[in-house]
Amino acid sequence: MTTDAIAQTEAPASHGGASGTVFDIGYQRYTGRREGRGRSRLAIFKDGFRTALGFGRGARAKILPWFFIGVLSAIALVMAIVAGAAERLGGPGTAERADLPSHSDFYGIASIILFVFAAVVAPELLCPDRRNRVITLYLVRPLSGADYITSRWLAFLVVMLAAAWLPQVILFLGLSMGDPSPALYLRNHWLDVPRFLGAGAAMAAYTTTLAMLTASFTTRRAYASVFLVGLFIITTPFTVGLAQEIEGAAGQWISMFNLTNIPVHVNDVIFGDVSEITEDAPARELGARMLVAWFFIWTLVPGAILWWRYRRLTP
Amino acid sequence: MATGEPLLAVERLTKHYGNVVALNDVSFSITDGITGILGENGAGKSTAIKILLGLLRPTSGTATVLGQDASESIAVRARVGYMPEHDCLPTHVSAAEFLTHMAEVSGLPPSMARTRAADTLRHVGLFEERYRAIAGYSTGMKQRVKLGQALVHDPAFVFLDEPTAGLDPAGREDMLALIRKTHREFGISVLFSSHLMADIERTCDRIVVLQGGRLVQSGEVGQFTRETETVFIEVDNNRERLVAALETRGVVVTIDHTGLTIEGPDESVYDHVRDALVEAQAPLRRMAPRRRALTELFERDAETANAQGAA
Repeated sequence: MTTDAIAQTEAPASHGGASGTVFDIGYQRYTGRREGRGRSRLAIFKDGFRTALGFGRGARAKILPWFFIGVLSAIALVMAIVAGAAERLGGPGTAERADLPSHSDFYGIASIILFVFAAVVAPELLCPDRRNRVITLYLVRPLSGADYITSRWLAFLVVMLAAAWLPQVILFLGLSMGDPSPALYLRNHWLDVPRFLGAGAAMAAYTTTLAMLTASFTTRRAYASVFLVGLFIITTPFTVGLAQEIEGAAGQWISMFNLTNIPVHVNDVIFGDVSEITEDAPARELGARMLVAWFFIWTLVPGAILWWRYRRLTP
Repeated sequence: MATGEPLLAVERLTKHYGNVVALNDVSFSITDGITGILGENGAGKSTAIKILLGLLRPTSGTATVLGQDASESIAVRARVGYMPEHDCLPTHVSAAEFLTHMAEVSGLPPSMARTRAADTLRHVGLFEERYRAIAGYSTGMKQRVKLGQALVHDPAFVFLDEPTAGLDPAGREDMLALIRKTHREFGISVLFSSHLMADIERTCDRIVVLQGGRLVQSGEVGQFTRETETVFIEVDNNRERLVAALETRGVVVTIDHTGLTIEGPDESVYDHVRDALVEAQAPLRRMAPRRRALTELFERDAETANAQGAA
């Protein structure tokens, strides 16, 4: 309707003769800006980010994501406190001499927590949309299936980056503050910052993609979470045990299928160090290039499958 | 779009799912107003709507919406709304939050999305309950939220797939009133799919009838009912004498338990009725024109189609 019908109702005068007028301006056509596909993608991204962290939801929705972020930060804080105490009590360089865990070791220590975090939270971004069939309403708007999954993937990637980087930032600040000479520490260790940003990005991209792909196969969040946790937890002892039994190239390749280690190998390559969980892995003998290429295969191929599944999705 | 140009048009549209033919060489066009798409379950209504929304690609033929190819243009979807038949609502968010989000997904800036969501919820009668979680809504309220999300971005055209499904009689009346309001007050054209002929007859200006994936009829609702117009007559007594008097004048009469029905009347029939009433000395209690319901028309068309299929 283009008429802006204005219905006017006189309210009865009461208590001293004051009167009011209620206007019903009727239905108004929207004549403002329509921002198209970019706004649609941004809306899906924002919603995914808020859903992952429980923003705008009840307390229950916030418990799990913030619990995991809290645990990861607490690990970093403890590492920083221990290193700081060693430096203060034992003198400069004590932490390094004692080989106390630092930035290069963090993802080796915290990888399983990051995997469980992804397994628990990622399905929240995809499963309810398909279970409640809200996805139908998205796909009849100026948005393709590929737009939808890319936006959701990016939203969860940002959350995973935050979960991976925040503890490293806490650790870096803690180690700087704990050192008897913070300025000297910063000068000697500034390269740790781009290294942990790179290693954290690899960890986040890998866990985000695998978790989202698994979640895309079911409408039940619990199934996706249990499958993912099982996948990470079961493949580790299975591949470690088998790789020890079978020597040579076959053992090295079996070791490559330890899904927990794949991004940790990249972390090791970036820091030029060896994490505790990868030091005995036969896969290391295949060399840095192969380990990095393997990481890209395990990130890009699941990513392509995820994109392809949603690109052809029809409700 | 130029005035008078169809808002939607399908031309020789065919859709196969494997060996199953969901739509078979269907052509029709729709202009401004409320159009009903009528057919039994499996007639091809939802398939036609999904092709028009660009969710399915036709096997052959074309579907255009607001002048653009439905399967090629994503941008045109910013100007159409869709209310599916099935449940499609999240449970843990409020109607206000959900509609705001859907308006943003349709391309509206956040501040305008919030304003439009509140306005739309007022128009569909959910303003007071807008901050309650959708999980606590009744079926009728959920249907209103579904309609609201289809309208929140102010589309030029809205597709409603079985909007009265699952509603009680009062809820159904309210929903039909809202659909009429959507066009008459909001100025949004409607394509309304239903298998309930009474709903279509009471709400729509035009109708498209599908059966077994084929187009049976399309046109104005009035045109369908006009061609089967009847006159109903009730008299106090001498009914048999009146029937005889009418039949001697060549008028075809059907007797039912309350009165007489005269088929396909033209102007001369009223003169014959007047003369027959006088001749039979039958006191007239009531005489009124009646239209056959679409139900009867649909049954007739279905019988014709079945007979053709058998042949």
